[in-house]
Amino acid sequence: MLIANRGEIALRINRACQELGVKTVAIFSEADRESLHVRQADEAFCVGPGPVARSYLNIPNIISTALVTGCDAIHPGYGFMAENARFASICADHGIVFIGPKPEVIAAMGDKATAKRVMKEAGVATTPGTDILSSVDEARKAAGKIGYPVLIKATAGGGGKGMRVVEKPEDLERSFHGASSEAEASFKDGRVYMEKLIRDPRHIEVQVLADEFGNVVHLGERDCSVQKPSHQKLIEEAPAPALSDKARRALHEMAIKACKHVKYSNAGTLEFLADGDNVYFMEMNTRIQVEHPVTEMVYSVDLVKEQIRIASGEKLGYVQSDLALRGHAIECRINAEDASNNFAPEAGTLTKVVFPGGPGIRVDTHVFSGAQVPPYYDSMIAKIVAFGATRDAAIARMERALRETVIEGVHTTIDECLVILATPEFRAGNYNIGFLPRLLETQAADAALAAAAMTA
Amino acid sequence: MSDLQTPPGDIAARVRRLVEAFVETDLIRVRVERDGERIEIGRPPMRQDHAQVAEAVALAAEPVPVRDVDVVKADLVGIFRLSRPAPVEGDLLEGDRELAYVEALGIRNPVRSRGAGRIAAILCKDGDAVDYGRPLFELDRG
Repeated sequence: MLIANRGEIALRINRACQELGVKTVAIFSEADRESLHVRQADEAFCVGPGPVARSYLNIPNIISTALVTGCDAIHPGYGFMAENARFASICADHGIVFIGPKPEVIAAMGDKATAKRVMKEAGVATTPGTDILSSVDEARKAAGKIGYPVLIKATAGGGGKGMRVVEKPEDLERSFHGASSEAEASFKDGRVYMEKLIRDPRHIEVQVLADEFGNVVHLGERDCSVQKPSHQKLIEEAPAPALSDKARRALHEMAIKACKHVKYSNAGTLEFLADGDNVYFMEMNTRIQVEHPVTEMVYSVDLVKEQIRIASGEKLGYVQSDLALRGHAIECRINAEDASNNFAPEAGTLTKVVFPGGPGIRVDTHVFSGAQVPPYYDSMIAKIVAFGATRDAAIARMERALRETVIEGVHTTIDECLVILATPEFRAGNYNIGFLPRLLETQAADAALAAAAMTA
Repeated sequence: MSDLQTPPGDIAARVRRLVEAFVETDLIRVRVERDGERIEIGRPPMRQDHAQVAEAVALAAEPVPVRDVDVVKADLVGIFRLSRPAPVEGDLLEGDRELAYVEALGIRNPVRSRGAGRIAAILCKDGDAVDYGRPLFELDRG
């Protein structure tokens, strides 16, 4: 099997393959020549220079590597090729199994407006909104019906690009054109639609597994509401701490119904916005996610192995009632970033690295003392996962593990994670996506006051 | 570098020290000569870096003339095939010539000598799977 990724997820996939007795081929860029994933795979092929467009996104070299090494499957991990329907169909054209759902499903879920329409057909709750808007007039009428504030979103959008919050009618025209032209520039697709803005929701997602025979199970939900101002997740946990049993059950049932409706196969995640017990479908990720380990810890499954088994045509072999949730798990993302400077990514040499261990701790990482953090890639260098019989036990373990961790050479998110874990809001499980941005503002204000006191 | 006290006879230690200093630079080749002993280390140059290599070699050229050796590398992933008639080590090339091709996704991608020279070494065998940047030929540009 070819592993079309780098970093910790490449190692994670390699581990699953080794345990299954599957031989692996790693790919790497010139910047990653000394990386752990290159050393641990059975074979490794350089596919281009450091920048991703010429290496990890270089489709001809990746496919050619799979062909010359005789690979019969490609695992894309997350990011890079993971939700690229064209890549998935190129694999199929060359007789290579793409480990993920069918290309048509990837394409449908990748287009946000289509995904929302399909989910609505399946009877899944979606945020009140519109299909593609063809004019400002149409947008104005729709906003009147939905009620301000509304969100104008690009159907091809992602990462906050092509998105505008509209608080009042007089801002609508400017926001409509702004979102559309930004989306046109970023994605060569200026089509936009409208949604009701839900203020400070929680981000809750459901993990699913589906085989190619129509069998679908869910593996509970994760709460990923601790997000940086850029909407990137920082801390995730399973199960979600503040959701009524009724809402939780409804969420799981919706996820299963949605998968059956789109004839989903392989591992996937449905993301929802939760406003109290009201949950609305947001989007579906047709890949393994960064935060999959928290689910693995509480359900005792190996999601990557399941992905490989499903892709090789095996049946799930178990039903929903065979799956039981046990305990609580939390993940902290350790990024090479300066939290006090808008999480600006940093590159360089990690002069000293010591990871935690002991009961209930799992560390997924590709770095070690002396490793380089190249400037070309995502700044995540490790995921620390803590398991406990209860949520409090998991938090205590995570705090202990973070204090054991030593990373020198770059700034990391460790200290910020410790600050978050100690807040009364996090302790109580009472937080939403507005929590971390507000906490950061308070911290910045406190730092400014302290600095003023020093000079006074 | 703190180990300036290394005994002059300990070549391995001096090479190691030189390599450590070298990897932190952007230099392509470094040569140190002392008491008739010569240590030269370098990165295999990419073809597009030829001018840079020539410059570095020119700087290092006094007083002993240095052979200008150019390494031709694969610029994509595929199967390496020698072109016919198959080149052999020692062949003199009068100008630009197709030496081999890399077969990828059914397409033959020629590997050219990009100028005259002598084939100093053929570094891959016909039929080898090669990756990006794999050294294929060493050409002595004289």
